[in-house]
Amino acid sequence: MSRLLQAFAEGLVNPALVPAHTLALCGLGLFVGQQSSRALPVLSLAAGLAGGLTAIALAVGPTPSRIVLLADAALIGGLVASAWAPPRPVGWLLAAIAGAALALDSPPQAATIAQGNAMLLGTGLGACVLLVVVSAGAALATRRWQQLGVRIVGSWIAASALLVLALLLR
Amino acid sequence: MLRSVGSGALFLLLIMAVPALAHEGSGTGGFIGGFSHPLLGPDHIVAMVAVGLWGTFLGAPAIWILPIVFPLVMAGGGVLGILGLGLPGVEIGIAVSAIALGLMVALAARPPIWIAAVVVGAFAIFHGHAHGAELPPGSDAVAFSLGFVMATGLLHLTGISFGFLARWPVGRVAVRIAGVVIAVVGAAFLSKAV
Repeated sequence: MSRLLQAFAEGLVNPALVPAHTLALCGLGLFVGQQSSRALPVLSLAAGLAGGLTAIALAVGPTPSRIVLLADAALIGGLVASAWAPPRPVGWLLAAIAGAALALDSPPQAATIAQGNAMLLGTGLGACVLLVVVSAGAALATRRWQQLGVRIVGSWIAASALLVLALLLR
Repeated sequence: MLRSVGSGALFLLLIMAVPALAHEGSGTGGFIGGFSHPLLGPDHIVAMVAVGLWGTFLGAPAIWILPIVFPLVMAGGGVLGILGLGLPGVEIGIAVSAIALGLMVALAARPPIWIAAVVVGAFAIFHGHAHGAELPPGSDAVAFSLGFVMATGLLHLTGISFGFLARWPVGRVAVRIAGVVIAVVGAAFLSKAV
């Protein structure tokens, strides 16, 4: 039981420890925080995560998930920087893609299937928590200079994701 | 005034004592390596600070457009560097950026925003190319790139903060003198680059 909990805890902190995952989730959180409707993007991320984690649990083969995740992060960072609110389904789609790519990029390294599943559950929950925390913080940015700060961070996320994407595609 | 000039001259001497140009590679990866990378290149530092200083002279909306747009354009230049697409005279371009941006500040130039954006954007490509060519492969590339993008952004914000002195007459003179110093530093780097 304690090993299961430990695996769950390792999965829980995983999105905050893998820079590419943190980058994508922070970008998505800022984007969601800029929008008026915040619940559905979070649910979309959760749905994407569930799909991706299920695929991992079913031992899906290697996927270009890291590339997709960074491309998604670059796009989302660009949207944050521009402070443009696209049609709502676009946000849901980007969130779902981020969730699925993040999950597929998080294959568990566990001794048993039960521990692997616990780790996957932890990863899914950790990603959702990180998204909610960042989006709540971004939603609090109501002053002009705070909103500019969010946009500047968005441009940093887009720039970083673009650079690493180029590195992966080289 | 004399103190400002003296400080500028001392800064210039310190810069010129650096034996080689920037972008030699930090030798370390991760966020700290990326963050320190732009800070180890004096030519990069002065140009980025000049962008912020110029932003304050240009006023809104340039003052907040530049720190948002610059990292994105710089990333475009970085992609060229990563993909191995050659850009002639990168170090010369970086040195010229310090000269040009320093002169813009020194002259308190206020061209139309699109001209300022084109000028800054063109130089951003050179800076990005230099950094992109040195992006380390491996798992810490994300942290490294985020580090150097953030350091560059903070250099802009440093310039913007200093540029707010221009609200007062004496501060305006100090900022313009800083522009002269930056241009002279850029000329020193250019003489080494050619």
